[in-house]
Amino acid sequence: MTFGTILGAWIAVFLTLAIFSYLYKDNPFYKVAEHVFVGVSAGYWASMFFWTQIQPNLFGRLWPASEYSADSFWYKIYDGLHVITSSVFPAGGIDKGHDMHLIYLLPFALGIMMLLSVSSKLSWFARWGIAYTVGMAAGLRAYGFLNSNVIGQIKGSAVQFVDGDMPFFALIGNSYFNNIVILVGTIAGLAYFYFSKEHKGTFGKLSKVGIYFLMISFGASFGFAVMGRISLLIGRFVDLIDYSKAQYNHATIWVLLIMIIVLGYGAFKDKGKGAKVSG
Amino acid sequence: MKIITDFILNVGKMDRRWIFLIIALVVLLPLFFPIGLPIRPTDSTQTAYDAMDELAPGSKVLVSFEYGPSTKPEIHPMTYAVLRHLFKKEQKVYITCLWPDGQFMAEEAIDDIAIGEFNLNYGEDYVLLGFRPGNEAVVKGIVSNMRKLYSTDARGTLTDAIPMMNGVNKLADFDFIFTASAGYPGTVEWVQYGADPTGVPMSTGVTSIQVNEVMPYVQSGQVKGILAGMPGAAEYEALIGVPGIGTSGMDAQSIAHLVIVLFIVFGNVAYFIERQRQKKY
Repeated sequence: MTFGTILGAWIAVFLTLAIFSYLYKDNPFYKVAEHVFVGVSAGYWASMFFWTQIQPNLFGRLWPASEYSADSFWYKIYDGLHVITSSVFPAGGIDKGHDMHLIYLLPFALGIMMLLSVSSKLSWFARWGIAYTVGMAAGLRAYGFLNSNVIGQIKGSAVQFVDGDMPFFALIGNSYFNNIVILVGTIAGLAYFYFSKEHKGTFGKLSKVGIYFLMISFGASFGFAVMGRISLLIGRFVDLIDYSKAQYNHATIWVLLIMIIVLGYGAFKDKGKGAKVSG
Repeated sequence: MKIITDFILNVGKMDRRWIFLIIALVVLLPLFFPIGLPIRPTDSTQTAYDAMDELAPGSKVLVSFEYGPSTKPEIHPMTYAVLRHLFKKEQKVYITCLWPDGQFMAEEAIDDIAIGEFNLNYGEDYVLLGFRPGNEAVVKGIVSNMRKLYSTDARGTLTDAIPMMNGVNKLADFDFIFTASAGYPGTVEWVQYGADPTGVPMSTGVTSIQVNEVMPYVQSGQVKGILAGMPGAAEYEALIGVPGIGTSGMDAQSIAHLVIVLFIVFGNVAYFIERQRQKKY
């Protein structure tokens, strides 16, 4: 096993136990893990976005290698950028299989405008980029929701009630009983969210049935949430057990022991301080 | 009777850190001493399995990784099981990622399954197209012209030079979609912008917390079955006959659930006793 793998295991163990230590109380180990997580995530996402999208798909379309010409003004700008950073702008243009599309100058400009939000004087430029993003996302999502959530779900809840072959009761699949539950649940649930009529009388009773359906749904969500959290805990424990083996120099045992001693010493010192104050 | 009610009330006032410790112990012990509780596939897992099992050999399957290390214990076992199934049936697997850390997960799964277990050839049996930022816009891009979006794969190779990319230009060219999803963007976006508009059948594996959100699509037939969290992975492992990480965690999962149910019952009983006593005095 390489030194890097063992070091990685020790870091993983430290970070896992540091996060778990919050269950005891807020402490410096937890704070370190929290800050490392935020920093590493931000750095990783930024670099991933740059190298998978901006460099190949934006710069790759503005200065493609296939159309490189050292004499053109456009590529002279590129050569200037190449002098500044050759890893982003390699010699002879960017070879990512694209042709030149200068229309991409538009999203490039909008992206720069969004970055200008850091300046208090020029931050108004960011509104253009945000306006484009909001408009595009709203249009895109409206179509998706209408097609799949409205039409698709109406089709899905249009259940059959006249079928000679359908059983009266079945735990799973089509049955008269299940189809009645879908029909009543859908109508009662919608009735609960209808606010143009006061929830009184028959309509009030119907919306109350809707609440029961919603409560069953929330109960199922809670159950699934518990199941998910336990699965994650199992995953961390499996890794911790793995890292406690001799090949990782018993990382879990050592880190756990050191953390308990340090936290125990801290608690002992705090107790002393508390006694002095109260005394 | 009073002794019992006092005991229940005292348990109700217990420091919550004891509960954390008890949960930790009931999860840890079955990992050291497995019981081997039976695993029976649910209807939704069976539907997902059947949908992938019925594909003709050599079918083009798009597998999308939308999860990271934080949800790895739930989703990773199911991607392993699904990849084992697809490779065993000699399907061509195209891997995309809507999450940046999904690429890590995909690379690990490829190393362990495609190379480690099946010794397959990159570019002929499977390809890692990798991550592209843009959420649902990426799905839209794959639907209309994926070659424009993926001019290179995750390793920087031009997709034109990859043999299994011949004739693959858009989502409609695929025979099946499987998404391993832990949130947004994920299964919902693939249904809304991918499977529904193109009619390409899809199935999914999701975190437990997402099941309620995705289940309506399964009930309406928009999604062919669903693998629900770690138990879904264990059920799929049982169906393909290869026990993996999902199966090994199921004892701990079952016992932890039992203990949590007991805690909920205790908590409710303590609440009702206390309310009864308050009414009395």
